[in-house]
Amino acid sequence: MSAGADKGAAPPTPPAPLPRLLLFRVFLRSLFLQASWNPQGMQNLGLAYAVYPALRRLYPDPEGQASAVRRHLAFFNTHPYVAAAIVGGVLFHEERIARGEERPEAVVAFKAALMGPLAALGDGFFWLSLRPAVGALAAALVPVIFAWAAVVYLVLYNLVHLTLRAWLFALGYRLGDRLVERLAQANLPGRGARLRAVAAASAGASAAYLAMHFGSQQGGAWGPALAAGCLGMGAVSYFLVGRKLSGYALLYLSAGLAVLAGALL
Amino acid sequence: MNLEWTQVLVAGIWGGLLAVERRAFLQAMISRPLVAATVMGLLLGDVASGLYVGMLLELFHLGSANLGAALPENETLVSTGTAAAAAAMARSAGAGGTPAIWALAILGLVGLGRLGRLVDRSLEPYSGRLAHKALAEAEQGDLERAVRQNLWGMWPVFLVFGALTAACAIAGGAVGPLLGKLPPSLMRGLAGAFPAMASVAAAIAARNSHARRAPLFAGVTAACVIAAGVALELRRTM
Repeated sequence: MSAGADKGAAPPTPPAPLPRLLLFRVFLRSLFLQASWNPQGMQNLGLAYAVYPALRRLYPDPEGQASAVRRHLAFFNTHPYVAAAIVGGVLFHEERIARGEERPEAVVAFKAALMGPLAALGDGFFWLSLRPAVGALAAALVPVIFAWAAVVYLVLYNLVHLTLRAWLFALGYRLGDRLVERLAQANLPGRGARLRAVAAASAGASAAYLAMHFGSQQGGAWGPALAAGCLGMGAVSYFLVGRKLSGYALLYLSAGLAVLAGALL
Repeated sequence: MNLEWTQVLVAGIWGGLLAVERRAFLQAMISRPLVAATVMGLLLGDVASGLYVGMLLELFHLGSANLGAALPENETLVSTGTAAAAAAMARSAGAGGTPAIWALAILGLVGLGRLGRLVDRSLEPYSGRLAHKALAEAEQGDLERAVRQNLWGMWPVFLVFGALTAACAIAGGAVGPLLGKLPPSLMRGLAGAFPAMASVAAAIAARNSHARRAPLFAGVTAACVIAAGVALELRRTM
């Protein structure tokens, strides 16, 4: 709680809006959000680290500054990319608190209300849709473009990741609590469903290519049989994974069968 | 050709940096298996080993996600460690990377993902202590120092995972000369094990894509690739 807000009076000189360079600095520091992730406060230290340059500017008095830092050292946890929206929103609220237009509780409530829903949104879109889609697509491209597939992976993924992260930060800073409406319009869950289909299709193509290419290459006269065996193993694995059989067990089982075939043939 | 200590050092530094990138900073997916292992192969002079090991592990770990406070297996350690071991094995065996070497490295080190998760968990109390220290410093008014505690959380991650990756490179270099003593039938079997494991990994990836009609999408593209492969083979032989 700032000293000014504590007494219910505006600070003597209302602070000017945060300069663009400082906003950029906060954004860059937010990339370290999870540097000291811990089970008690989770991303608390990362959030305080990110917004500190802005707090120092908004609260010239040491007491106000200390109160502001302390309220961001409380428990905080959300998706690390979508956190950019909350970091932007924290600056939106802190500017108003520093001007005496809001109580400090407003920023605490803002974080508490948004961190859960945004974590679910970020997990669903980035971790469970975009990353599998780009990863499977890049893996499927390995036979065509070899090591460049790794470059394609990074470019495709980060084009979306960094653009959205910067957009979310700007959205949070401009709109504060109203960012939720704008975020709903972006329809990330709908786009995520389409990306998951890309992941499944790419994985299917990879399975077929790997079995045929390496099977025929390594099998010699038995190449077609090895390729067909690998394809069959892949198809069986798909259903066994669905029945909760461990991926490790399947990996060792397939290797064991191949080694046995190599010894006998 | 023997493994040089500079290469072990390079492998360790790359492994440590990626462990930091994976969770503490940026998360631009440089630490994902396909990228991490390919670059490891490039650094150790064997891109093919890194690329194919990375591709298989990318598919195997495609669905792993850090959801809430749950810790997934550490796909970065398994990728950097396995790629370093495969490249070092190929180098010290005096040959390029082969599917048999990749399969051997994967079979031996795929469990590193679980070890990595244990290490991640064991480092959490250190970060917890940093958070407590930061709170105490903020109470005393030393704000600059308090928020800077955040950056100290990265050092143990870099050092521990860097050391583990370097150890994998050393282990690969030690196993390499022994490959010539293995029976040819075993090496032939291991060569066949790579596509078998890759097919399994791709099937796991399709299952873990969580797509609503995953079997349909995966089946159609697999059928297309098989048809194209058969057509090309027939055209070649006719």
